[in-house]
Amino acid sequence: MSVPLSQMWTVASYVLKQRLRGNSRYPLVLMLEPLFRCNLACAGCGKIQYPGHILRKHLSVEQCLAAVQECGAPMVSIPGGEPLMYPEIGHLVAELVARRKYVYLCTNAILLKEKLAEGLFTPSKYLSFSVHMDGLREEHDEAVCRDGVYDQAVEGIREALRRGFRVTTNSTLFDGASAIRMQMFFDEMMDLGVEGMMLSPGYSYSKAPDQEHFLRRQKTHELFSKMLSNPKKRWKFNQSPLFLQFLMGKWDFECTPWGNPTYNMFGWQRPCYLLQEGYAATFKELMETTRWEGYGHRSGNEKCKDCMVHCGYEPTAVNTTFTSWKGFKATVEATLTGRL
Amino acid sequence: MAPDERTLEGWDPGPLEGGALAEAVERAFDYRGDVTVERRDGGEVVGYLFNRDADAATPFVQLFAASGGDPLTIPYADIRAIRFTGRDTAAGNSYAAWLRSREAAKAAGPARGA
Repeated sequence: MSVPLSQMWTVASYVLKQRLRGNSRYPLVLMLEPLFRCNLACAGCGKIQYPGHILRKHLSVEQCLAAVQECGAPMVSIPGGEPLMYPEIGHLVAELVARRKYVYLCTNAILLKEKLAEGLFTPSKYLSFSVHMDGLREEHDEAVCRDGVYDQAVEGIREALRRGFRVTTNSTLFDGASAIRMQMFFDEMMDLGVEGMMLSPGYSYSKAPDQEHFLRRQKTHELFSKMLSNPKKRWKFNQSPLFLQFLMGKWDFECTPWGNPTYNMFGWQRPCYLLQEGYAATFKELMETTRWEGYGHRSGNEKCKDCMVHCGYEPTAVNTTFTSWKGFKATVEATLTGRL
Repeated sequence: MAPDERTLEGWDPGPLEGGALAEAVERAFDYRGDVTVERRDGGEVVGYLFNRDADAATPFVQLFAASGGDPLTIPYADIRAIRFTGRDTAAGNSYAAWLRSREAAKAAGPARGA
């Protein structure tokens, strides 16, 4: 695993503090969406289908920082939309880094080289560019519905690494993904020099154009087992090993929908990053008035039945690491041996 | 349009009360286009309805008006009608449609775009 020690320590101490306070529901990563506008229209994405006047809007830096303060999570992920299209992205990231938040700027990297050349960002252990890469060139360009994006992303990654930035990748896997091709992809990303990779099965957004290619649970177990049961030592994953083991079918986790709360121009999204069932005006209202028992694999909610996405289950994995000896032991073993 | 690409675009359910109003609000909340909300005082707002709370002490909807500005909050009790007047940005956009356009683009030349 490739999460830096300082980041692990920050997360571990945050989780333990929450547990000591008797707080069983706490956020781990704030999903901060400053805008919905994007320069791609991927078939699996349900985030960008809005009228033009909504796509032209964005949050102010002050609104973003107020949300970060209110939420209190130690990590902030900035998806979107494409965050590099946010006019205040440099300012926002600088403010978050100054607050010692670990920032994952989730980008398709089409604009990365250009924005780096503009000097918008300064390398920091708190900042990682999390580049969207759904596989090798053919698979990635297919997933993002445009040729040439893979090569642009690779160019952006090289430039970011050359300038001393932390770079990770995030990959969403859909039905039909090939374990062997993904293993080749892992090799290619390691050759590029990225710090680590993040994997997640896709979620079937009701508004996403592609409804036919999302993975169901059994297929997810099979795919991830094939991909990861004999991992190369050089493959580094920037996520909880227990989450990857969960995807392989080795753990039976329940969703933690409040683990990665989402804030955007509509407010605090209920109940999670994927489902859009309404908005709360404050984080407190979100936490106190959402009917959490109505969500998760065992809730009987049809929308949650097949979901195994990182935003719900990675917080469970992290929590398991720090609240059970079995989870802690499994995490240490996987971290030291590289085996899942 | 193919059956799997049905949309509420253009739907006008007429004057709304009680359960019919609540149902239209739910559909408007799920709709990825602008709607026109007609108030009981005769005023109209065209915008994107992004939130609603039917369980609040005073049930309300929230919209971003297409003309701009901060979000508007309108109580259910003030709504006479909701018309689905804006383009449904999620419709006609199926994976099958995307595959068709990609094949057409491929046939037309080496480059393809989304």
